Amino acid sequence: MKILLAEDDFASRKFMDKYLSQYGECDVTVDGEEAIDAFMMALEDGEPYDLICLDVMMPVLDGYQVLKAIRDIEMQKGISKEQRAGVIMTTALNDERNVKMAFELGCEAYSGKPVDLEKFDKVLQKLGLI
Amino acid sequence: MAEEIKEEQTEEVDSPKREFMTFQTGREYFGINISYVNEIIQMQPITALPEVKDYIKGLINLRGKIIPVIDVRTRFKMKPIEYTDRTCIIVINVKSTVIGLIVEKIAEVNTILDEDIVPPPTLGHKEHEHNKYVYGLARTDGAVKLLLDPEKLIMEEDMELLEEIQEEE
Amino acid sequence: MAEEFNIDGMLDMFLFESGQLLEKLEGIILEKQDAECFDDADINEIFRIMHTIKGSSGILMYDNIMRTSHKLEDVFYYLRESQPDNVPHLELVENVLKVSDFINGEMDKIKNGGDADGDEGELIKVLDEFLNRIKGEIKDQGIRLPKENKHEEPSQFYIVPVASEGSHFYRITIHYRNDTQMSNIRAYSATYALKEVAEDLLYTPDDIISNEESSDVILAEGFHMLLQTKSLKDEVLGLIDCSEAEHIDFEEISSEEFGSGLVTMGRIESPVAIDLGEEDAGVREEKPHPVPGDYVVKTKETGKGKTLAKHQSKQQSMISVNVSKMDALMDLIGEIVIAEAVVLQNPDLNVPGLDLTNFQKASAQLAKVTTELQEVIMSMRMMPLTNTFQKMRRIVFDVSRKLGKDIELEVIGEDTEVDKNIIEHISDPLMHLVRNSVDHGIEENADDRIALGKPAKGKIILEAKNEGGKVYVSVKDDGKGLSKEKLYDKALANGLIENKSMSEFTDKEIYRFITLPGFSTKEEVTEYSGRGVGMDVVVKNIQSIGGRLDIDSEEGYGSEMTLAIPLTLAIINGIVVQVGNSSFVLETASIKEFVRIGEDSIIQEPGGEEYIVLRGECYPFIRLGQRYEFENCQTKVEDGVVVVLEHEGSQICVLIDSLMQEQEIVVKPIPSYVKKVRGISGCTQLGDGSIALILDIASLIEEEERR
Repeated sequence: MKILLAEDDFASRKFMDKYLSQYGECDVTVDGEEAIDAFMMALEDGEPYDLICLDVMMPVLDGYQVLKAIRDIEMQKGISKEQRAGVIMTTALNDERNVKMAFELGCEAYSGKPVDLEKFDKVLQKLGLI
Repeated sequence: MAEEIKEEQTEEVDSPKREFMTFQTGREYFGINISYVNEIIQMQPITALPEVKDYIKGLINLRGKIIPVIDVRTRFKMKPIEYTDRTCIIVINVKSTVIGLIVEKIAEVNTILDEDIVPPPTLGHKEHEHNKYVYGLARTDGAVKLLLDPEKLIMEEDMELLEEIQEEE
Repeated sequence: MAEEFNIDGMLDMFLFESGQLLEKLEGIILEKQDAECFDDADINEIFRIMHTIKGSSGILMYDNIMRTSHKLEDVFYYLRESQPDNVPHLELVENVLKVSDFINGEMDKIKNGGDADGDEGELIKVLDEFLNRIKGEIKDQGIRLPKENKHEEPSQFYIVPVASEGSHFYRITIHYRNDTQMSNIRAYSATYALKEVAEDLLYTPDDIISNEESSDVILAEGFHMLLQTKSLKDEVLGLIDCSEAEHIDFEEISSEEFGSGLVTMGRIESPVAIDLGEEDAGVREEKPHPVPGDYVVKTKETGKGKTLAKHQSKQQSMISVNVSKMDALMDLIGEIVIAEAVVLQNPDLNVPGLDLTNFQKASAQLAKVTTELQEVIMSMRMMPLTNTFQKMRRIVFDVSRKLGKDIELEVIGEDTEVDKNIIEHISDPLMHLVRNSVDHGIEENADDRIALGKPAKGKIILEAKNEGGKVYVSVKDDGKGLSKEKLYDKALANGLIENKSMSEFTDKEIYRFITLPGFSTKEEVTEYSGRGVGMDVVVKNIQSIGGRLDIDSEEGYGSEMTLAIPLTLAIINGIVVQVGNSSFVLETASIKEFVRIGEDSIIQEPGGEEYIVLRGECYPFIRLGQRYEFENCQTKVEDGVVVVLEHEGSQICVLIDSLMQEQEIVVKPIPSYVKKVRGISGCTQLGDGSIALILDIASLIEEEERR
């Protein structure tokens, strides 16, 4: 599968990149704007991402903005709910309201940091990605 | 005070030596690892508590905190001596239990190398009650210092308390 | 536990909400346990509760919780849709409680940092079997089965972060040797090494890479870092290259200090508090809902923490506060009361001829405000007994079912409010009393009851009421009652009383035998009561909060145990008295009168015990100074003051040297190192900074009576 990882913190980025790479090709961006650019590029090339992992606190655009943009673009392009990319937010911002907002914006999963990889695997299974 | 101590320890983290607050009561010198010592205060008016062990001299008011004080000499079953203007109270904190130790006179802070510490004799010691609380003897400047283990000092109490509770049940 | 380890915000919410829902569930179930069946409203409510728990546990991927709650939801779905008759009500009640217990157990595991790994298979089997029976029943009754309860797998998930210890905050200063070359690069490699473990790292000077001159600053002032990390000191130190370091200052600091940045190092920096995840877990603030774009990070500058571009405004209307903060506030108010006494009773005011009119006015105002302050904090700490009583319902239900006794529990006055501290203290004793009533109180055989003209069903009444500054909680049963003869024989046999004849004791005194250590009327210890803990422990617990236990009974018709407890523990009205060199506090409420009498009013018994005859009444007499072997105290009755003290209807006279003043007393515990001192319930700090001991009149009287 094709994976996009947006994470501005180097250590987390390295950690997640290493973990996600076992499941497929993993592109990495360091801020929110780049993440949207990468998402658009992949769409245009006809090879959209299957999984997108977004940090919340990022430069330029935050994870929620990116999530919203991605869902808006998908809607505009007429991509159905079943076909759209799976989005997992990864952040230490685990206040209930933040999680709710992300769910409302349409992410598939929300992971607190430090990430519990076992459960992360479980989610990927439930989402039918692995 | 405590912070400075920590820093110094860090600096010498690898060296096998420790710092001890030493004090004198009667002719004996005692040492207590400085990391347990909160502060040293002058003798204070002590509120006596009725019906407690003789070495618990009572309570003092340390800036709004009420803490018990014990007489080190009586604690070790030595003959008590009169308090003078050099008598002072070492406030120690052992695992969040704060108590004051009444000592005749503070000597100094000594650095004692680990190799200079020998375990106390276990047999044939005439005052073997010491051994429960004394974990080592240190020879510095010609004098022998008894190094106290404050945790045991407190623990012993806990043990007794525990036994008491069990008996009651 | 929860304080030691940082529970995730989302997880916290799940545990909190589910806990509340389960409590509500148990409430419904136990209230309706004796009813024929649940009514529509209950069924709907239970369905809704299970549905909610199923949903949220699904999102958090606690599959076993999800499956059990789902199954129970199914059961109630069919009950709701088809409303079958002949549902085995008690079995249903038991099943619901089993589910509730299971989920509670799993949640406890999660709370303690574990994983919800309980096996739900057995429970699901039971529920399935039950559900199939209901379905069969529905068919038999000719009602069409409703559509299958549609269950949607959750499509969104929340991954709980791996449990980790809370963060530590350190201030680290590296002092390099004066001849160190390129100390800025060394400093940078230190920051680089620390980044591995750092959650946040601030350092100064912050231009170490771009500015070569920074190496001079580092040599002169040292290299300062603030580090937020999960690692411990040794681990952190291990990462720093110390080869050129002269020494390293290492200090653990609080998160507040960390938040205030490097100010204390002489440089003013003001990093905005950023990491909202690290927000004090104790305070759940009602801030405006977040919106996308709130968490854009400003381009990170070296040496500074992450900063959000948008400033977070914090508005709040309601907050829930950590209990420890409430306790801290309580302590502070105690200090204020003491400080007030220090000011108002200051010896400097005792100058003859000093005009204190304005001072008196101001101090009256101060006294008024502090009293109000106390009342406010007290009212904040008051909680209803509802939850405690709820637990008792459960105990009666469980124990009576296990013992096969048919018992009804009536609860009165569960909304009575008591100080939070006290609730914690009475929960266990009360549980013990209730268990005792179910186990020993109510007859094993219903026929025995009918023979005495009592209804076959046993009854226990749990009642709370608030009267005259005290709260009374009573457990009353209509069971066997206590047999005075048996109690007396047992006490005699166990050597608890000397060879006094039974007529020397009043009824109440005989009942009180059961509270003596080493007394147990039941030969064998049963599973539900007397797990090695007797009534003496109950009494001890109650006395430790200044309460008492009253026992009343009528043989054959039941007994009543009443706990009388003070509304609050922290501040009492007391009179300070002098004995020898010590000060004591007597609680004002228990003082009956002060008298001056002569030696001729005293009767001495051959055993040395003394009595005072006052207006024809005879009271036990204690010379406090001699009793505690104090020096310099009055020995002559003529020179001192005799105080008549009363507690629970018993009186005692005490000789003191002199009266000092009446004031509000902030009760502090005797330091635990000293252990419990007989006759002393606590201590307090007086206006002049000295310490007074609070006399425990109840135990004084009790001891006197026991002689």
